[in-house]
Amino acid sequence: MSSESDRLLIRQIRDGDSRAWDTLIARYEGRLLAFVDRRLHDRAASEDVVQESFIGFLNSLPNFDDQRELQTYLFTIASHKLTDHLRRMGRHPVHAASEGAGDVLQNQLDPHAAASSLARSRERQELESQAVVRSLGQMVRQWQDKGDFIRLKVLELLLVKGWANRDVAAHLKVSEQQVANYRFAAVKKLTEHIRETSLSADVFPELQDTARD
Amino acid sequence: MAASIPRAQLHAYLDDALSDRETALVEQALRESDVLRQSLRAILHERDRGEHSIGAIWRRQRLSCPGREQLGSYLLQALESDLQDYIDFHLKTVACPFCQANLADLQALQQEAEPQVRQRRQRIFDSSAGYLKVGREQGGK
Repeated sequence: MSSESDRLLIRQIRDGDSRAWDTLIARYEGRLLAFVDRRLHDRAASEDVVQESFIGFLNSLPNFDDQRELQTYLFTIASHKLTDHLRRMGRHPVHAASEGAGDVLQNQLDPHAAASSLARSRERQELESQAVVRSLGQMVRQWQDKGDFIRLKVLELLLVKGWANRDVAAHLKVSEQQVANYRFAAVKKLTEHIRETSLSADVFPELQDTARD
Repeated sequence: MAASIPRAQLHAYLDDALSDRETALVEQALRESDVLRQSLRAILHERDRGEHSIGAIWRRQRLSCPGREQLGSYLLQALESDLQDYIDFHLKTVACPFCQANLADLQALQQEAEPQVRQRRQRIFDSSAGYLKVGREQGGK
């Protein structure tokens, strides 16, 4: 959720307050620039992408939900603008990945080819995503509050980095059994929570993988 | 080689969320492995079908990212040792691109000349302030 200060800024910006807009730029421009330039290594191009991101934010402001965290929302817009830029430059991962594999990967990202299925599932996808954010977010906060950082590290390496149990165990110097236990408990809770919201856990391949382990 | 690039890394690769070193490793592996290219295509199919990656949601929604103030304290090494250690892990092992950007920004604030920063922000303001009216009109609908 956005901070009270950010929510106030957004209200003022919605009223057309240019000073509030100036404040928001000052607050977030530096981190967005660092985020984009980390990938582009071209200061002038990065500044252009950040500029486009702020314009994109203003254009999407009528649809912005104050319950979302502003910083995360701005990073999301910057990510999209960065991807657009990389595609224009022929540097997006799919361009590189499709070398020697024809244009199959390109076609997969063709928005027109996929439009019908995306449009059909967008709302449901958003609900599923929100369910994960609520459930996993709550678990993460509990681990942080309790200072259970080893569990947090284990789950972060398993889910965010996709490491295998044995690699996580070796890196964090814990037993593979402990890693497996942490994974099982988190996935079980997450699966239950998703089902409680009448959504299907089948659309999360990681949950299926764990169920099969 | 294909087995050494986890699916979560391929998701992050498609989202432009890897470090330069990780990106180079993935791209090298993709050039060398048809199996890995097939895995990448499978992920694109899954995304098209509306399937999710929990890891990608975790990363994009910054579920475990420390706050800006905590990162500032991390720079000053003023945190409890276990939290300091966790943030170090999050920045270096997980290589969270958002927190790395926040940290780089905090470090730059200590070094960059103020007039330069002001000038850059003024350019953004000048190019975007005209859209404030658009936002207000759309919001009022």
